[in-house]
Amino acid sequence: MTGQTTMSNTNDPTSSSSPIMEVQDLAVSFDNASAGPGGPRIQAVAGVNMSIYPRQTLAVVGESGCGKSVTAMSSMQLIPRPPGRFDRGRIMFEGRDLLSLTEQQMLKVRGGDIAMIFQEPMTSLNPVYTIGDQILEAILLHQDVSNEEAVRIAVKAMDDVGIPDPMERLRSYPHQFSGGMRQRVMIAMALACQPKLLLADEPTTALDVTIQAQILELLRELQRTRDMAIMLITHNLGVVAENADVVCVMYAGRVVEYAPVFDLFDRPMHPYTRGLFRSIPRLNDSKHRLITVDEIVEDPAEYQQLPGHAEGVVPWWPDPPDGVKPELVDGDEYILHQIDDNRWVGCFRSTHLDSMEASPPSLDFRRPDLSSVGQ
Amino acid sequence: MFSYIARRLVLMIPTLIGITFVVFMLLALSPGGIGASLRVSGGQMEASKAAQLEAYLEDRYGLNDPVVYQYAKWLGRICPVKFGTRDQVTPSGELIRPPKSLVTPWMKESLYPDLENPEARKNEPIDTGSLDTDEKKARAYRTAARDYAKARADYIVATKELKHAYARYAKATGIEGAVDDDGNPRESRIPGVTIDAAAPSWKPVQAAAYKVLETYEIAEVARDRLSTIFGIKPFDEVGVPVLPGLVSLASPDLGTAFSRGRPVSDLIADALPVTLLLNLVTIPIIYLIAIPSGMLAAARQGTLFDVLSGATYVALWSIPRVWAGVLLIGYLANNQYLGWFPVSGLHDSDAASFAFLPTWTDGEFHRGYMLDTLWHICLPVACFVYSGFAVLSKQTRAAMLDNFNADYVRTARAKGVRNIDVVFKHVFRNSLLPLITMFVTIFPFLLAGSVVIEKIFSIPGMGSLVLEAITLRDRELLLANTIIIAVINLLALLLADILYALADPRVTYD
Repeated sequence: MTGQTTMSNTNDPTSSSSPIMEVQDLAVSFDNASAGPGGPRIQAVAGVNMSIYPRQTLAVVGESGCGKSVTAMSSMQLIPRPPGRFDRGRIMFEGRDLLSLTEQQMLKVRGGDIAMIFQEPMTSLNPVYTIGDQILEAILLHQDVSNEEAVRIAVKAMDDVGIPDPMERLRSYPHQFSGGMRQRVMIAMALACQPKLLLADEPTTALDVTIQAQILELLRELQRTRDMAIMLITHNLGVVAENADVVCVMYAGRVVEYAPVFDLFDRPMHPYTRGLFRSIPRLNDSKHRLITVDEIVEDPAEYQQLPGHAEGVVPWWPDPPDGVKPELVDGDEYILHQIDDNRWVGCFRSTHLDSMEASPPSLDFRRPDLSSVGQ
Repeated sequence: MFSYIARRLVLMIPTLIGITFVVFMLLALSPGGIGASLRVSGGQMEASKAAQLEAYLEDRYGLNDPVVYQYAKWLGRICPVKFGTRDQVTPSGELIRPPKSLVTPWMKESLYPDLENPEARKNEPIDTGSLDTDEKKARAYRTAARDYAKARADYIVATKELKHAYARYAKATGIEGAVDDDGNPRESRIPGVTIDAAAPSWKPVQAAAYKVLETYEIAEVARDRLSTIFGIKPFDEVGVPVLPGLVSLASPDLGTAFSRGRPVSDLIADALPVTLLLNLVTIPIIYLIAIPSGMLAAARQGTLFDVLSGATYVALWSIPRVWAGVLLIGYLANNQYLGWFPVSGLHDSDAASFAFLPTWTDGEFHRGYMLDTLWHICLPVACFVYSGFAVLSKQTRAAMLDNFNADYVRTARAKGVRNIDVVFKHVFRNSLLPLITMFVTIFPFLLAGSVVIEKIFSIPGMGSLVLEAITLRDRELLLANTIIIAVINLLALLLADILYALADPRVTYD
């Protein structure tokens, strides 16, 4: 069984035993401007759990608005408050709850311990400052170095991400770079301060396919050399298959499935995950029409495949077909249930599951090619 | 960059020609036409004297030339490239041109070909050798110029009288179509008409023609004298020769204002600094208040400050300046109320005797020239300033809000940049770009505002001058004002474009 092989990797001596960041029951909501003050809030994230280990790539997938980016932005306290609000939960990073840090303390974390790169390399750099200004700004904020030393670090960072002639390019402006080069600049800027965790929010969405591959390859290589953890937020399941160690599938602000990448692709357990995979066109298939996610999640049979279904283990879905909901306990109808040693599935909180002890998802797993490097 | 600036400067020339041509045509087509005020000035005189004065003035300012020709002559005068004989300039700065040529007597070939001038004066040769000092040359020139001006005026008046006499004759003998609707003879109808020398109304025509010939001779002699004296250069020549005798370069000549008889450049040199002073005090005040408050309103979007400042500025913006000016004078300057500020003018009546800086002598405070001026411009500047906040602060606020949500601001925050640095370094720098454009639009707006405010506060600035030029239809003054204001605005536009390139690296002009 695939799970067995992956578990052996977890025991690899090179992997650390404690996660670098743990998101615990995070819930974030926003003011609904059209509803007026006191009106119902929009629940962007409703009880998310995940954890990232050093040198691990955690892929967070899900459709637009499912709360992926809000989770990442919350860990840097970059959610504008108001209208945003942290309802409950913690984000533990090196023993501290990031959500409880003051703005002053967060300034050290942002860009220093945790760095972030964004989807839009074309607009994510300030057009009126040179590349050098912007990279140096990050370095001087977090490292106690002289200007010359900072320039040296910046040149090294640009060299590391494969920008030719970095000394010269420091004086260039963002508009003089192509999209792929700008994303490299963003990565250089993010990595200049040796962060322990990189939040990559759809880093390749705006780039064409060949540049995508280059950027992802670059990220993997940098991760290997720097022992850095990456939270890779993406829509693209191909990117997930090639780069992720652990996958967290989100829907409507909740985690619906959490598993090592190979297990997830071999045997998706949640109907939504299955729906996602089925909706991918394949080259050798000749289809009149693709299967949609809706067709899968509206099929009651899809809800009866989890082990322990008879006792009331039913995958959670906000709007399930009639008759699949088990008997629920009061309160939140959702619970993240550990179905297997290394698998978690979002389920309805039935009386059976409510009585079991819930364990937060935590997978210290890396792809074999990554873990072998350290040996 | 420099080739761009050079290109822009060259392109200013056709723009300026276009602007001045339109203004000139509007002036020429307005009721009364160019120099309308000149013609009504002799209201108390008897008719013939008034006609003489009018004829003299029309000739002096070239008002009887076709409109387009007048404009072309004006262009020639302000053009720095001059052709032919160079002008001279007196030590006091008065510009001396070569004497004007005389037109040959009116209709001599048709009306009185045989008439001889009985006492044609001989051209007495001038002993130019005796004019050995500059002072003598200048005095001789003055005398000759006065003589020529008088002789020329006599000749013009005589010509006018001849025309009247002929018109009366034509009317009396019933020559069809000889006189147009205004009562002037039609020149095209004169040749070929047989003269009835026996008619009683022919005698005055002959007398007038005789007078014309006589005055023509005198004027010719006076002109020759003047030309000779001008030729020995009683004064310094203007400009730099390029091809000696043919082409030279000289500073533009803006002419003499009809209404005041002073060189226009002097009038502008007096008025422009006043208006520039007002604007240079006003613009920084507007910017220093509107921009920070716009930034604060953006940073505190939706708070009381945001709403209140926005509402206040728009309310101020909608108060008419005329009303505000009158209220300010009435309450703050009127001695019956507060009387804190002077009612009008730019200086105290004895300000010329003040020291420049404030002094403390004999236990008494003397505010000095500078403080006196500042005190006088308080109310006018207040009038300028209050309506300028709204547009600029709203623009700043909108630009800042746009940039607050920009991706690069999120990047900066993710780098760990402090909030205040995000606002000033990242957001504000990008929000500057629309504000630079604003600078240009606010400038002509202030110049236009000068007209009203300078009138209310009796300040002798460009606004007053423009108003005077328009009401008096003073061609020279109006065209000069137009071109000065146009040049200032075009330079401000150019400056904005250059600033834009400096502020935004994406903009280059190469």
